Amino acid sequence: MSLLWLRVAVLLYAVAALAVLPAALYDRPSWRLIAIPATITGLLFHFVSLAEMLITAHHSLPVESHETQSFLAILLALAFVLVYARYKTLALGIFLLPLAVLLGLLPAFRPGLGTTTLPGPHTGWLFLHIALLLAAYAALFVSLVASVLYLVQEARLKSKSVQPVSIKLPPLETLDLIALKALLFGLPCMTAGLLIGSLLAQITYGATYFRDPKILLAFAMWLAYIGMIFIRRHSGLRGRRSVYLSSFVFLVILAVWASNQFSAVHRFTTP
Amino acid sequence: MTPTLVLLGVNHNTAPIEIRERLAIPASRLADATRSLASSPGIREGLILSTCNRVELLTVQDADAVTPDLLRFFHEYFAVPAATIRPHVYEFREREAVRHLFRVASSLDSMVVGEPQILGQVKESYTVAREVGAVNSSDAGGGHLDRLLQFAFTVAKKIRTETQIGASSVSIASVAVDLARTIFGSLAGKHVLLVGAGKMSELAVRQLIQQGATSILICNRTEDRAHKIAAQFQGQGISTEVIPYGSLYTEAHRADIVITSTGAPQHLFDASHGQQFIQRRRGRPMFFIDIAVPRDVDPRMNKVEGCFVYDIDDLQQVAAANLSDRTREAQAAEQIITAEVSRYQQRLLTLDAVPAIKALQQQAEETRQAELARSAKLLATLTPEQAAAVEALTRNLTNKLLHPQLLALRKPHD
Repeated sequence: MSLLWLRVAVLLYAVAALAVLPAALYDRPSWRLIAIPATITGLLFHFVSLAEMLITAHHSLPVESHETQSFLAILLALAFVLVYARYKTLALGIFLLPLAVLLGLLPAFRPGLGTTTLPGPHTGWLFLHIALLLAAYAALFVSLVASVLYLVQEARLKSKSVQPVSIKLPPLETLDLIALKALLFGLPCMTAGLLIGSLLAQITYGATYFRDPKILLAFAMWLAYIGMIFIRRHSGLRGRRSVYLSSFVFLVILAVWASNQFSAVHRFTTP
Repeated sequence: MTPTLVLLGVNHNTAPIEIRERLAIPASRLADATRSLASSPGIREGLILSTCNRVELLTVQDADAVTPDLLRFFHEYFAVPAATIRPHVYEFREREAVRHLFRVASSLDSMVVGEPQILGQVKESYTVAREVGAVNSSDAGGGHLDRLLQFAFTVAKKIRTETQIGASSVSIASVAVDLARTIFGSLAGKHVLLVGAGKMSELAVRQLIQQGATSILICNRTEDRAHKIAAQFQGQGISTEVIPYGSLYTEAHRADIVITSTGAPQHLFDASHGQQFIQRRRGRPMFFIDIAVPRDVDPRMNKVEGCFVYDIDDLQQVAAANLSDRTREAQAAEQIITAEVSRYQQRLLTLDAVPAIKALQQQAEETRQAELARSAKLLATLTPEQAAAVEALTRNLTNKLLHPQLLALRKPHD
């Protein structure tokens, strides 16, 4: 049953992703009446699906790659709704919703077959570790999208083009605020997520765990994240350089994500 | 006889300002003028629309009476010779009057197409006319103007909703404000620096204040003049501060928006100034509105990250492009008007046909009842079910026979 709910959720995200296009690209605000309700309803189905999926798997945390992808899709869709509620902009949905659809597609139509072995009695903490890190990833992606849109808006203002404007973007300062707030939200999530993960690893595996390159890369990611926020806050970095910096940190995060698939110690599924 | 709708007036296209100002009616006298119009012989209902760009008399006249001389009303009420007004007057009747009113209410006939004030002015005239009894309520029967005006408001709203006719700014000051909002979002709490003086720059400052800017810094080569300008903006919950001309470069970074309109022969600000300001502002953007000719801001400053420089030509180009957008949207609006005029005329015809339809239905029903009464003796032997079947049969038969005639009555006549 969870698969059916997930498919419905993905379908609703897809509808929202399509409805966002005329709303944001062609300044047809009435399409938000489809995009927002579709995303919220999709989220509800998605939550139900994830809960059922985890109950069926006899555990309460997303550890398989399909489950984590699905959870990340929820976070991205949620971020879109929250940004809309706070700033009344649909523009971020152009990127966030299609990614949510893509992340939801694989678990919805090619569900994982692996069984799960859990590392002991710390399931709640492990859930927090995963949820916080995924929230940090989602926050960074939101920040990156806002920075890219900042660049587009800045270029448009600089060019003084009198051509009819298609894409409806929020003001520059709003985009900058979204980018910075997303980062500031992501930092405590990432810090707490890594700390909890480290403590769990120390208890379960001992110090050897920290020699895994993937784990070292995760700490490098954390340092890059902190460095990015420090630079943004203290030098007022905006525009092109801000996008470069966000992209760099995003690449590091992608590397961490990918390495998760190859790490010998940092995985709990057995094929 | 059906009353006739007549609209007579002058506007910015047909009459010069010298004529329009002689015919303009101040708001305080509008009620009196409307009452006077409505009490003219042959006029059933009347409404006067008087704005700086037009004076129009919209009337419903008795079709069987002698045609009232609206030109004479102009002449008598305003003491302007008819011969002076006649060359500038236009007159529309029935369908064309409806079309003209819809165009006016939708701002298609305005000097600046798409401006939003005209709808409010039409509504104000309507309210005054209702108050003085010059327009009857359509609920109480009659009320042609009431019905027409309500329809016109709906059409105007539809055009605002379905087209982008009023979406973009077409004046220099409002374009500048729009750009400022694209950069900063809300202008609440933003600081504006006014360098030099000039009507257009002061107008732009006023518009920025309207949008929430609360702090005005003023810098002028002559400090006395700066204090005089500052005095103009005081008392509106706005903080003003005069910056000595010598401190311009050390203080300018405090402003989010800089409006320059000095008579300086060379650039006041160059790209290096922009870099300094942005550095001091930790990257927060700055918007330069350069209204001066020759320009006060080096256009190369626009390349500095965080600096946005728009000179008078840039602003004019945006305004012109927006105006052209409005013209394009106006074409779509004209199509809506054409459709809505037809819809309104159709509705009128239906309303006109209501008494005839009612009479026909009543006559048919009376005939049916009379025939049933004539056969009452024969029908007396029927069971209740059979009687109900005969009742239904005769009613259905009557309705079917009436149907083509009712349809013909409801259809528009060519």
